[in-house]
Amino acid sequence: MIVLGVGGLHAQWMPEKSNRLVNDYSHMLTTEQANSLEKRLVAFNDSTSNQIVIIITPTLGGDAAWAVATQIGQEWGVGQKKFDNGVVILIKSKSAEEPDGDVTIATGYGVEGALPDAFCKRIIDDVMVGPLGNGDYYTALTEALDLIEPTLRGEYSYAKYRDEERRDAVTGLLIFVGLIGVVALSLWLYYRKHPNDFNNKGNNGHKGGGGSGLFMGAYPWFMGSGTRGGGGGFSSGGGFGGFGGGSFGGGGASGKF
Amino acid sequence: MKKSTIVIISIVAFVAILFIWGISVNNSLVKHDEKVQQAWSQVENVYKRRMDLIPQLVNTVQGAANYEKGVLTEVIEARSGVEKVKIDPENLSEEQVKSFQQAQDRLSKAVANSIKVTVERYPELTATQGFLNLQQQLESTENRITTERGKFNKEVQEYNTKLRRFPNSIIAGICGFEKKGYFTAPEEAAEPVNVEFNF
Repeated sequence: MIVLGVGGLHAQWMPEKSNRLVNDYSHMLTTEQANSLEKRLVAFNDSTSNQIVIIITPTLGGDAAWAVATQIGQEWGVGQKKFDNGVVILIKSKSAEEPDGDVTIATGYGVEGALPDAFCKRIIDDVMVGPLGNGDYYTALTEALDLIEPTLRGEYSYAKYRDEERRDAVTGLLIFVGLIGVVALSLWLYYRKHPNDFNNKGNNGHKGGGGSGLFMGAYPWFMGSGTRGGGGGFSSGGGFGGFGGGSFGGGGASGKF
Repeated sequence: MKKSTIVIISIVAFVAILFIWGISVNNSLVKHDEKVQQAWSQVENVYKRRMDLIPQLVNTVQGAANYEKGVLTEVIEARSGVEKVKIDPENLSEEQVKSFQQAQDRLSKAVANSIKVTVERYPELTATQGFLNLQQQLESTENRITTERGKFNKEVQEYNTKLRRFPNSIIAGICGFEKKGYFTAPEEAAEPVNVEFNF
Protein backbone atom coordinates (compact mmCIF):
# COMPACT_ATOMS: atom_id res chain seq x y z
CA MET A 1 0.00 0.00 0.00
CA ILE A 2 1.15 3.50 -0.84
CA VAL A 3 1.95 5.53 2.25
CA LEU A 4 -0.27 8.59 2.30
CA GLY A 5 1.12 12.05 2.42
CA VAL A 6 -1.10 12.88 5.37
CA GLY A 7 1.82 13.29 7.73
CA GLY A 8 0.23 11.54 10.69
CA LEU A 9 1.61 8.28 11.92
CA HIS A 10 -0.28 5.04 11.82
CA ALA A 11 0.23 2.40 14.43
CA GLN A 12 3.89 1.39 14.25
CA TRP A 13 3.58 -1.68 16.39
CA MET A 14 1.28 -4.30 14.97
CA PRO A 15 1.54 -7.93 16.03
CA GLU A 16 1.22 -10.47 13.26
CA LYS A 17 -2.27 -11.92 12.93
CA SER A 18 -2.50 -14.72 15.41
CA ASN A 19 -4.71 -17.79 15.47
CA ARG A 20 -5.20 -17.57 19.20
CA LEU A 21 -7.46 -15.36 21.28
CA VAL A 22 -4.99 -14.93 24.14
CA ASN A 23 -1.70 -13.40 23.01
CA ASP A 24 0.71 -12.75 25.84
CA TYR A 25 3.84 -11.25 24.30
CA SER A 26 5.07 -10.09 27.74
CA HIS A 27 4.77 -13.52 29.43
CA MET A 28 2.73 -12.12 32.29
CA LEU A 29 0.49 -15.18 32.42
CA THR A 30 1.55 -18.71 33.26
CA THR A 31 0.93 -21.32 30.59
CA GLU A 32 -1.99 -22.72 32.61
CA GLN A 33 -3.51 -19.26 33.03
CA ALA A 34 -3.17 -18.48 29.31
CA ASN A 35 -4.67 -21.85 28.37
CA SER A 36 -7.55 -21.46 30.76
CA LEU A 37 -8.37 -17.97 29.38
CA GLU A 38 -8.03 -19.26 25.83
CA LYS A 39 -10.40 -22.12 26.56
CA ARG A 40 -12.88 -19.76 28.14
CA LEU A 41 -12.81 -17.35 25.17
CA VAL A 42 -13.03 -20.12 22.57
CA ALA A 43 -16.06 -21.52 24.38
CA PHE A 44 -17.59 -18.05 24.49
CA ASN A 45 -16.97 -17.62 20.77
CA ASP A 46 -18.50 -21.01 20.02
CA SER A 47 -21.62 -20.40 22.05
CA THR A 48 -22.30 -16.73 21.25
CA SER A 49 -20.24 -15.84 18.14
CA ASN A 50 -18.71 -12.92 20.09
CA GLN A 51 -14.93 -12.78 19.77
CA ILE A 52 -12.83 -11.34 22.56
CA VAL A 53 -9.10 -11.03 21.99
CA ILE A 54 -6.53 -10.44 24.72
CA ILE A 55 -3.19 -8.85 23.88
CA ILE A 56 -0.44 -8.29 26.44
CA THR A 57 2.56 -6.47 25.04
CA PRO A 58 5.73 -4.91 26.44
CA THR A 59 5.63 -2.07 23.86
CA LEU A 60 3.25 -0.08 21.72
CA GLY A 61 5.92 1.43 19.51
CA GLY A 62 5.08 4.87 20.87
CA ASP A 63 1.40 4.81 19.85
CA ALA A 64 -1.71 5.27 21.94
CA ALA A 65 -3.05 1.99 23.33
CA TRP A 66 -6.57 2.58 21.99
CA ALA A 67 -5.20 3.15 18.48
CA VAL A 68 -3.21 -0.08 18.48
CA ALA A 69 -6.15 -2.04 19.91
CA THR A 70 -8.55 -0.61 17.34
CA GLN A 71 -6.19 -1.37 14.51
CA ILE A 72 -5.65 -4.93 15.71
CA GLY A 73 -9.42 -5.39 15.88
CA GLN A 74 -9.89 -4.01 12.39
CA GLU A 75 -6.99 -5.77 10.68
CA TRP A 76 -7.36 -9.14 12.35
CA GLY A 77 -11.11 -8.95 11.79
CA VAL A 78 -12.15 -9.67 15.36
CA GLY A 79 -15.86 -10.47 15.61
CA GLN A 80 -18.28 -11.70 12.95
CA LYS A 81 -18.46 -9.64 9.78
CA LYS A 82 -22.23 -9.43 10.06
CA PHE A 83 -22.39 -8.26 13.67
CA ASP A 84 -19.01 -6.58 14.18
CA ASN A 85 -19.19 -8.14 17.63
CA GLY A 86 -15.52 -8.17 18.55
CA VAL A 87 -13.70 -6.83 21.59
CA VAL A 88 -9.95 -6.28 21.97
CA ILE A 89 -8.51 -6.05 25.48
CA LEU A 90 -4.98 -4.71 25.23
CA ILE A 91 -2.58 -4.37 28.14
CA LYS A 92 0.81 -2.72 27.80
CA SER A 93 2.92 -4.14 30.59
CA LYS A 94 5.45 -2.08 32.51
CA SER A 95 9.12 -2.42 31.70
CA ALA A 96 12.34 -0.65 32.60
CA GLU A 97 12.42 1.20 29.25
CA GLU A 98 8.69 1.95 29.14
CA PRO A 99 7.53 2.33 32.73
CA ASP A 100 3.90 3.23 31.92
CA GLY A 101 1.25 0.56 32.17
CA ASP A 102 -1.69 1.02 29.80
CA VAL A 103 -4.91 -0.90 29.51
CA THR A 104 -7.59 -0.42 26.89
CA ILE A 105 -10.83 -2.11 25.88
CA ALA A 106 -11.67 -1.54 22.21
CA THR A 107 -15.18 -2.37 21.06
CA GLY A 108 -16.34 -3.33 17.56
CA TYR A 109 -19.15 -1.32 15.96
CA GLY A 110 -21.71 -3.96 16.89
CA VAL A 111 -20.97 -4.01 20.61
CA GLU A 112 -20.73 -0.27 21.20
CA GLY A 113 -24.33 -0.45 22.40
CA ALA A 114 -23.81 -3.32 24.82
CA LEU A 115 -20.46 -2.01 26.05
CA PRO A 116 -20.66 1.79 26.01
CA ASP A 117 -17.42 3.71 26.51
CA ALA A 118 -18.38 4.75 30.04
CA PHE A 119 -19.01 1.11 30.97
CA CYS A 120 -15.62 0.07 29.57
CA LYS A 121 -14.06 2.85 31.62
CA ARG A 122 -15.78 1.54 34.76
CA ILE A 123 -14.56 -1.99 34.11
CA ILE A 124 -11.01 -0.72 33.71
CA ASP A 125 -11.08 1.51 36.79
CA ASP A 126 -13.04 -0.82 39.04
CA VAL A 127 -11.62 -4.28 38.41
CA MET A 128 -8.54 -4.05 36.19
CA VAL A 129 -6.28 -1.21 37.30
CA GLY A 130 -5.95 -2.50 40.88
CA PRO A 131 -4.82 -6.09 40.15
CA LEU A 132 -2.72 -4.93 37.17
CA GLY A 133 -0.83 -2.57 39.48
CA ASN A 134 0.02 -5.60 41.63
CA GLY A 135 1.10 -7.58 38.59
CA ASP A 136 -1.89 -9.91 38.84
CA TYR A 137 -2.89 -9.94 35.16
CA TYR A 138 -4.95 -13.10 35.44
CA THR A 139 -7.30 -11.69 38.07
CA ALA A 140 -7.69 -8.42 36.17
CA LEU A 141 -8.62 -10.31 33.00
CA THR A 142 -10.97 -12.86 34.56
CA GLU A 143 -12.82 -10.17 36.50
CA ALA A 144 -13.15 -8.02 33.39
CA LEU A 145 -14.46 -11.03 31.44
CA ASP A 146 -16.92 -11.76 34.26
CA LEU A 147 -18.44 -8.36 33.49
CA ILE A 148 -18.09 -8.32 29.71
CA GLU A 149 -19.32 -11.82 28.85
CA PRO A 150 -22.80 -11.65 30.43
CA THR A 151 -23.37 -8.24 28.85
CA LEU A 152 -22.47 -9.51 25.39
CA ARG A 153 -24.33 -12.78 25.81
CA GLY A 154 -27.62 -10.89 25.89
CA GLU A 155 -26.81 -9.07 22.68
CA TYR A 156 -25.70 -11.79 20.29
CA SER A 157 -26.12 -15.49 20.44
CA TYR A 158 -24.97 -18.40 18.37
CA ALA A 159 -28.63 -19.16 17.53
CA LYS A 160 -29.16 -15.65 16.18
CA TYR A 161 -26.00 -15.92 14.14
CA ARG A 162 -27.09 -19.21 12.59
CA ASP A 163 -30.56 -17.82 11.86
CA GLU A 164 -29.11 -14.94 9.89
CA GLU A 165 -26.86 -17.30 8.00
CA ARG A 166 -29.76 -19.53 7.09
CA ARG A 167 -31.97 -16.63 6.04
CA ASP A 168 -29.28 -15.41 3.67
CA ALA A 169 -28.75 -18.84 2.17
CA VAL A 170 -32.52 -19.20 1.63
CA THR A 171 -32.72 -15.78 -0.07
CA GLY A 172 -29.83 -16.74 -2.35
CA LEU A 173 -31.52 -20.02 -3.24
CA LEU A 174 -34.87 -18.34 -3.93
CA ILE A 175 -33.27 -15.84 -6.30
CA PHE A 176 -31.49 -18.69 -8.07
CA VAL A 177 -34.66 -20.77 -8.39
CA GLY A 178 -36.52 -17.66 -9.62
CA LEU A 179 -33.91 -17.09 -12.31
CA ILE A 180 -34.11 -20.67 -13.51
CA GLY A 181 -37.88 -20.25 -13.64
CA VAL A 182 -37.57 -17.12 -15.80
CA VAL A 183 -35.15 -18.81 -18.19
CA ALA A 184 -37.32 -21.93 -18.43
CA LEU A 185 -40.44 -19.84 -18.98
CA SER A 186 -38.87 -17.79 -21.75
CA LEU A 187 -37.51 -20.92 -23.42
CA TRP A 188 -40.94 -22.49 -23.23
CA LEU A 189 -42.66 -19.40 -24.66
CA TYR A 190 -40.11 -19.31 -27.46
CA TYR A 191 -40.66 -22.98 -28.12
CA ARG A 192 -44.43 -22.49 -28.34
CA LYS A 193 -43.96 -19.79 -30.98
CA HIS A 194 -41.24 -21.50 -33.00
CA PRO A 195 -41.38 -25.24 -32.27
CA ASN A 196 -39.39 -26.01 -35.41
CA ASP A 197 -36.32 -24.07 -34.32
CA PHE A 198 -35.55 -26.63 -31.68
CA ASN A 199 -36.03 -29.65 -33.91
CA ASN A 200 -34.38 -28.55 -37.11
CA LYS A 201 -31.75 -25.91 -36.38
CA GLY A 202 -29.26 -26.97 -33.81
CA ASN A 203 -27.86 -23.46 -33.66
CA ASN A 204 -30.83 -21.87 -31.98
CA GLY A 205 -31.10 -24.59 -29.42
CA HIS A 206 -27.46 -24.10 -28.63
CA LYS A 207 -28.06 -20.40 -28.10
CA GLY A 208 -30.68 -21.17 -25.48
CA GLY A 209 -28.24 -23.45 -23.70
CA GLY A 210 -25.68 -20.68 -23.67
CA GLY A 211 -28.18 -18.42 -21.98
CA SER A 212 -28.80 -20.72 -19.06
CA GLY A 213 -25.06 -21.32 -18.91
CA LEU A 214 -24.69 -17.65 -18.17
CA PHE A 215 -27.04 -17.98 -15.23
CA MET A 216 -25.23 -21.05 -14.05
CA GLY A 217 -22.16 -18.85 -14.00
CA ALA A 218 -24.00 -16.47 -11.71
CA TYR A 219 -24.87 -19.21 -9.26
CA PRO A 220 -21.73 -19.08 -7.13
CA TRP A 221 -22.16 -15.34 -6.82
CA PHE A 222 -25.59 -15.64 -5.22
CA MET A 223 -24.48 -18.43 -2.96
CA GLY A 224 -21.37 -16.43 -2.21
CA SER A 225 -23.44 -13.54 -0.91
CA GLY A 226 -25.40 -15.98 1.19
CA THR A 227 -22.43 -17.22 3.14
CA ARG A 228 -20.53 -13.96 3.24
CA GLY A 229 -20.68 -13.54 6.99
CA GLY A 230 -19.12 -16.93 7.70
CA GLY A 231 -15.38 -16.69 7.58
CA GLY A 232 -14.91 -19.77 9.75
CA GLY A 233 -15.57 -18.15 13.10
CA PHE A 234 -16.45 -21.39 14.83
CA SER A 235 -14.57 -24.42 15.86
CA SER A 236 -15.85 -27.89 16.57
CA GLY A 237 -14.17 -28.29 19.91
CA GLY A 238 -10.50 -27.82 20.66
CA GLY A 239 -8.83 -24.79 19.12
CA PHE A 240 -10.04 -21.48 17.84
CA GLY A 241 -11.64 -21.50 14.38
CA GLY A 242 -10.43 -18.11 13.12
CA PHE A 243 -11.48 -14.50 13.05
CA GLY A 244 -14.72 -13.52 11.38
CA GLY A 245 -13.90 -10.16 9.76
CA GLY A 246 -15.46 -7.69 12.23
CA SER A 247 -14.91 -3.92 12.04
CA PHE A 248 -13.84 -1.38 14.65
CA GLY A 249 -14.58 2.33 14.79
CA GLY A 250 -12.58 3.57 17.76
CA GLY A 251 -15.08 2.81 20.54
CA GLY A 252 -14.03 1.79 24.05
CA ALA A 253 -12.02 3.26 26.88
CA SER A 254 -8.50 3.32 28.29
CA GLY A 255 -6.76 3.60 31.63
CA LYS A 256 -3.32 3.65 33.22
CA PHE A 257 -1.85 1.54 36.00
CA MET B 1 -16.77 -12.24 -47.71
CA LYS B 2 -15.70 -8.98 -49.28
CA LYS B 3 -12.70 -7.16 -47.94
CA SER B 4 -14.75 -4.07 -47.07
CA THR B 5 -17.15 -6.19 -44.99
CA ILE B 6 -14.27 -7.57 -42.95
CA VAL B 7 -12.95 -4.07 -42.36
CA ILE B 8 -16.37 -2.83 -41.23
CA ILE B 9 -16.87 -5.80 -38.94
CA SER B 10 -13.49 -5.33 -37.29
CA ILE B 11 -14.13 -1.60 -36.77
CA VAL B 12 -17.51 -2.35 -35.22
CA ALA B 13 -15.95 -5.03 -33.03
CA PHE B 14 -13.18 -2.67 -31.94
CA VAL B 15 -15.65 0.09 -31.06
CA ALA B 16 -17.80 -2.42 -29.19
CA ILE B 17 -14.84 -3.63 -27.14
CA LEU B 18 -13.84 -0.05 -26.36
CA PHE B 19 -17.37 0.70 -25.29
CA ILE B 20 -17.63 -2.33 -23.02
CA TRP B 21 -14.25 -1.50 -21.48
CA GLY B 22 -15.41 2.09 -20.88
CA ILE B 23 -18.53 0.87 -19.13
CA SER B 24 -16.57 -1.47 -16.88
CA VAL B 25 -14.14 1.31 -15.90
CA ASN B 26 -17.07 3.63 -15.25
CA ASN B 27 -18.81 1.02 -13.10
CA SER B 28 -15.76 0.36 -11.02
CA LEU B 29 -15.30 4.10 -10.44
CA VAL B 30 -18.93 4.33 -9.39
CA LYS B 31 -18.34 1.50 -6.93
CA HIS B 32 -15.35 3.26 -5.39
CA ASP B 33 -17.24 6.55 -5.34
CA GLU B 34 -19.99 4.83 -3.35
CA LYS B 35 -17.46 3.49 -0.86
CA VAL B 36 -15.99 6.96 -0.38
CA GLN B 37 -19.43 8.38 0.25
CA GLN B 38 -20.18 5.62 2.72
CA ALA B 39 -16.97 6.35 4.59
CA TRP B 40 -17.85 10.03 4.52
CA SER B 41 -21.21 9.40 6.14
CA GLN B 42 -19.38 7.62 8.96
CA VAL B 43 -17.07 10.62 9.31
CA GLU B 44 -20.10 12.89 9.53
CA ASN B 45 -21.70 10.59 12.10
CA VAL B 46 -18.80 10.79 14.50
CA TYR B 47 -18.44 14.55 14.07
CA LYS B 48 -22.14 14.92 14.71
CA ARG B 49 -21.73 12.86 17.84
CA ARG B 50 -19.27 15.43 19.10
CA MET B 51 -21.54 18.33 18.13
CA ASP B 52 -24.26 16.73 20.24
CA LEU B 53 -21.94 16.44 23.24
CA ILE B 54 -21.00 20.12 23.26
CA PRO B 55 -24.25 21.47 24.75
CA GLN B 56 -23.67 18.99 27.60
CA LEU B 57 -20.18 20.32 28.09
CA VAL B 58 -21.47 23.89 28.07
CA ASN B 59 -24.17 23.09 30.63
CA THR B 60 -21.79 21.24 32.90
CA VAL B 61 -19.18 23.97 32.92
CA GLN B 62 -21.81 26.68 33.41
CA GLY B 63 -22.88 24.81 36.51
CA ALA B 64 -19.55 25.53 38.21
CA ALA B 65 -19.84 27.94 41.13
CA ASN B 66 -17.24 30.46 40.00
CA TYR B 67 -17.99 30.09 36.30
CA GLU B 68 -16.62 32.77 33.97
CA LYS B 69 -18.02 33.28 30.52
CA GLY B 70 -14.68 33.36 28.74
CA VAL B 71 -14.04 29.65 29.25
CA LEU B 72 -16.69 28.66 26.74
CA THR B 73 -16.57 31.48 24.17
CA GLU B 74 -14.04 29.64 22.03
CA VAL B 75 -16.06 26.41 21.99
CA ILE B 76 -19.32 28.14 21.18
CA GLU B 77 -17.75 30.13 18.36
CA ALA B 78 -16.00 27.09 16.91
CA ARG B 79 -19.21 25.11 17.06
CA SER B 80 -21.15 27.71 15.09
CA GLY B 81 -18.22 27.84 12.65
CA VAL B 82 -18.67 24.11 12.03
CA GLU B 83 -22.38 24.56 11.43
CA LYS B 84 -21.66 27.07 8.68
CA VAL B 85 -19.64 24.60 6.61
CA LYS B 86 -21.93 22.75 4.25
CA ILE B 87 -20.61 19.75 2.37
CA ASP B 88 -22.08 18.00 -0.61
CA PRO B 89 -21.24 14.30 -0.14
CA GLU B 90 -21.46 13.76 -3.92
CA ASN B 91 -18.62 16.17 -4.48
CA LEU B 92 -15.95 15.83 -1.82
CA SER B 93 -13.45 18.06 -3.55
CA GLU B 94 -10.16 18.97 -1.97
CA GLU B 95 -11.37 22.47 -1.06
CA GLN B 96 -14.54 21.12 0.54
CA VAL B 97 -12.78 18.54 2.67
CA LYS B 98 -10.18 21.13 3.61
CA SER B 99 -12.69 23.73 4.78
CA PHE B 100 -14.62 21.04 6.67
CA GLN B 101 -11.45 19.88 8.37
CA GLN B 102 -10.34 23.40 9.28
CA ALA B 103 -13.64 24.12 11.02
CA GLN B 104 -13.69 20.75 12.80
CA ASP B 105 -10.05 20.92 13.88
CA ARG B 106 -10.70 24.36 15.33
CA LEU B 107 -13.51 22.84 17.38
CA SER B 108 -11.27 19.93 18.46
CA LYS B 109 -8.76 22.41 19.78
CA ALA B 110 -11.41 24.56 21.47
CA VAL B 111 -12.92 21.53 23.23
CA ALA B 112 -9.53 20.29 24.39
CA ASN B 113 -8.61 23.77 25.67
CA SER B 114 -11.86 24.28 27.51
CA ILE B 115 -11.49 20.92 29.24
CA LYS B 116 -7.96 21.82 30.22
CA VAL B 117 -9.06 25.20 31.59
CA THR B 118 -12.00 23.61 33.40
CA VAL B 119 -9.77 21.06 35.08
CA GLU B 120 -7.41 23.84 36.19
CA ARG B 121 -10.02 26.32 37.40
CA TYR B 122 -12.85 24.20 38.68
CA PRO B 123 -11.32 21.21 40.43
CA GLU B 124 -14.55 20.59 42.36
CA LEU B 125 -16.37 20.11 39.05
CA THR B 126 -13.90 17.59 37.70
CA ALA B 127 -14.46 15.37 40.71
CA THR B 128 -18.09 14.75 39.75
CA GLN B 129 -19.13 11.58 37.94
CA GLY B 130 -21.06 13.63 35.40
CA PHE B 131 -17.98 15.52 34.27
CA LEU B 132 -15.85 12.38 34.22
CA ASN B 133 -18.37 10.61 32.01
CA LEU B 134 -18.54 13.59 29.70
CA GLN B 135 -14.77 13.75 29.51
CA GLN B 136 -14.65 10.04 28.69
CA GLN B 137 -17.28 10.46 25.99
CA LEU B 138 -15.49 13.39 24.40
CA GLU B 139 -12.21 11.52 24.50
CA SER B 140 -13.56 8.41 22.83
CA THR B 141 -15.40 10.55 20.30
CA GLU B 142 -12.05 12.00 19.29
CA ASN B 143 -10.79 8.42 18.92
CA ARG B 144 -13.73 7.57 16.70
CA ILE B 145 -13.12 10.68 14.61
CA THR B 146 -9.50 9.67 14.09
CA THR B 147 -10.52 6.14 13.13
CA GLU B 148 -13.20 7.19 10.65
CA ARG B 149 -10.95 9.80 9.11
CA GLY B 150 -8.35 7.10 8.57
CA LYS B 151 -10.89 4.82 6.92
CA PHE B 152 -12.15 7.67 4.75
CA ASN B 153 -8.62 8.51 3.63
CA LYS B 154 -8.04 4.92 2.66
CA GLU B 155 -11.16 4.83 0.47
CA VAL B 156 -10.27 8.16 -1.13
CA GLN B 157 -6.79 6.91 -1.81
CA GLU B 158 -8.13 3.85 -3.63
CA TYR B 159 -10.57 5.98 -5.59
CA ASN B 160 -8.01 8.60 -6.56
CA THR B 161 -5.46 5.97 -7.58
CA LYS B 162 -8.02 4.27 -9.78
CA LEU B 163 -9.11 7.60 -11.22
CA ARG B 164 -5.70 8.90 -12.13
CA ARG B 165 -4.20 5.76 -13.57
CA PHE B 166 -3.93 5.74 -17.35
CA PRO B 167 -6.01 4.80 -19.34
CA ASN B 168 -8.81 4.96 -16.72
CA SER B 169 -8.23 8.71 -16.53
CA ILE B 170 -9.68 9.11 -20.03
CA ILE B 171 -12.95 7.48 -19.04
CA ALA B 172 -12.98 9.41 -15.75
CA GLY B 173 -12.64 12.63 -17.74
CA ILE B 174 -15.45 11.71 -20.12
CA CYS B 175 -17.79 10.60 -17.33
CA GLY B 176 -16.99 13.57 -15.11
CA PHE B 177 -15.33 11.85 -12.13
CA GLU B 178 -13.16 14.18 -10.10
CA LYS B 179 -10.37 13.79 -7.60
CA LYS B 180 -11.47 13.80 -3.96
CA GLY B 181 -9.83 15.42 -0.96
CA TYR B 182 -8.05 13.79 1.99
CA PHE B 183 -7.95 14.69 5.62
CA THR B 184 -4.49 15.91 6.46
CA ALA B 185 -2.63 15.65 9.74
CA PRO B 186 -3.28 18.61 12.03
CA GLU B 187 -0.66 21.33 11.92
CA GLU B 188 0.06 21.72 15.62
CA ALA B 189 1.37 18.68 17.41
CA ALA B 190 -0.41 19.80 20.60
CA GLU B 191 -3.78 18.68 19.26
CA PRO B 192 -5.38 15.58 20.69
CA VAL B 193 -5.87 14.06 17.24
CA ASN B 194 -2.40 12.96 16.30
CA VAL B 195 -2.73 9.39 15.17
CA GLU B 196 -3.68 8.56 11.60
CA PHE B 197 -4.66 5.06 10.64
CA ASN B 198 -3.69 3.28 7.53
CA PHE B 199 -6.13 0.42 7.42
